[in-house]
Amino acid sequence: MKKRLIFSFALLVLLLIVFIAVSITAGSVNIPPEELLRIFAGNPENETASAIVLKIRVPRTLAAAILGGALALSGYMLQTYFHNPIAGPFVLGISSGARLTVALALIASAGGALRMNSAVMVISAFAGALISMLAVLLMSSRIKSMSLLVVCGVMIGYICTAITDIVVNFADDSDIVNLHDWAIGTFSGMKSDGLAACSIVVFAALAAVFMLSKPIDAYRLGEGYAVDMGVNIKAVRIAMIVLSSLLSGCVAAFAGPVSFVGIAVPFLVKMLLGTARPIFMIPASFLGGGVFCIVSDIIARTVIAPSELGISTVTAVLGAPVVLVIMLRKNKENA
Amino acid sequence: MLEVRNLCAGYNGVGIAHDISFTVKSGEIFTLIGRNGSGKSTLLKTLCGQLPPVSGEIFIDGCEKSGMSRNAFARIVSAMLTDRPKTDMMTCREVTETGRYPYTGTFGLLAENDKRAVDEAMRLTDTTDLADRYFSEISDGQKQRVMLARAVCREPKLLLLDEPTSFLDIHYKLTFLEMLDKLRRERDIAVVMSMHETELAGSISDRVMLIRDGVCKGVGTPAEMLDKHTLTEHFGLTEELYDKYMNNVNQGQ
Repeated sequence: MKKRLIFSFALLVLLLIVFIAVSITAGSVNIPPEELLRIFAGNPENETASAIVLKIRVPRTLAAAILGGALALSGYMLQTYFHNPIAGPFVLGISSGARLTVALALIASAGGALRMNSAVMVISAFAGALISMLAVLLMSSRIKSMSLLVVCGVMIGYICTAITDIVVNFADDSDIVNLHDWAIGTFSGMKSDGLAACSIVVFAALAAVFMLSKPIDAYRLGEGYAVDMGVNIKAVRIAMIVLSSLLSGCVAAFAGPVSFVGIAVPFLVKMLLGTARPIFMIPASFLGGGVFCIVSDIIARTVIAPSELGISTVTAVLGAPVVLVIMLRKNKENA
Repeated sequence: MLEVRNLCAGYNGVGIAHDISFTVKSGEIFTLIGRNGSGKSTLLKTLCGQLPPVSGEIFIDGCEKSGMSRNAFARIVSAMLTDRPKTDMMTCREVTETGRYPYTGTFGLLAENDKRAVDEAMRLTDTTDLADRYFSEISDGQKQRVMLARAVCREPKLLLLDEPTSFLDIHYKLTFLEMLDKLRRERDIAVVMSMHETELAGSISDRVMLIRDGVCKGVGTPAEMLDKHTLTEHFGLTEELYDKYMNNVNQGQ
């Protein structure tokens, strides 16, 4: 048990380091490793190469790592909250809700009504995520079936996505360059101030979730028993909702839609660890989400280079089969 | 240990069990007996804090329950309810360990004495062999014993049990009663439980309460309360039916 945990965490950290390195090396401009070392040492021979690495590749890689971690963590919390292994920010429509409000905020800023910065992005995304989350909660109080709840979440997602598409199409006339890329989903739009903002939010949320690992552990037995253990169930539920909305909202704001990471990664990580204890799952999901998204991003920008795939295209190809496996296992358990 | 005064228990402010009053001393086993839907579970859920009381008061060790912190209450009272948790990749040992929750620190890690209490409880309930199996993969009877271990490892002063013997085979029914008896003698634990097996309830309980349609129909010793006349009336049985199937059982006592 202990050995397996140490091995798993070592593996995740190793994979993260390896793929960060690959991600920084890979790209349409070939930059040799010696030059990379010189760039990081601060005396590059080639200024253009330096700019490509430090201004494009590094922020993009870090964005994939941090936002991927945020997505996986958000998914993990939603699964725990709903006691449903296929709950996630994307299928429950929370990501789509966040995108809608961010799109509206971007339009408002293009029209001059709002000055856009990272804080506004995060706040509007958080608001959208929370609104969708509340809609899902409202339905979950009426619907006891978990699969129906997911269907409802998907519907909320479609509605929000449709409105977002309409909004984005209108915005095409005005000159919002990045909006279209963002609407498809990408880690490429990350600037250093955005990266700083989302790191602060994500790492603060990660710390908060980790501090909640004990009550989340109790929550795994269901509400009745959590109460028996002396858990303040209302406070924990609210904290879980706010934190998962904040995390998935943050991703939606900076990267657009990224599907399936929130479901696939916690499941894969759980299989790797051999346990679902929150105190291990929380950091491991975060690391695993980072690895998953960096790999997906590498694939997205290399397979049809110099053009790019949407990040969701790749995460769906990698993640959707995992979701199918989860459902088949679940079905076997119930039979 | 436990005092209940004019308690009305129910859901969303609507009472199901009305005007219930009783006291239970340390080391006493107090059993609720009544038909399905008579309000036993609702009463137990209210006692353990899962449902807020509609009205009335609950005192634990002389303190009003609503004035106690959640943690202080959880250290004194632990419960085993009829719903079995649906767990995901949780071993029986992990499920049992959650019983120590009120004693663990910020991250819920178990100290040496916590581990000892878990070991002891698993030994008492004969679940040591199940420790590394997944809770979702064991039988109902085994689950029940693990949940018992979980409730016992907290070393509570008051144990609330909702139909603790229902899924157990006769071997475990009797060893369970023996365990309760031991806990009462050695640790002076008070037990409030509901039970359908009147013959077993009669032999383990110090006092029983008959409850019907949410109303207390009397409190007394098993000898006073569990005679043929009271039982046929309480459970709505005819004498023929009772004689045909139940007399056999009671001759053993």
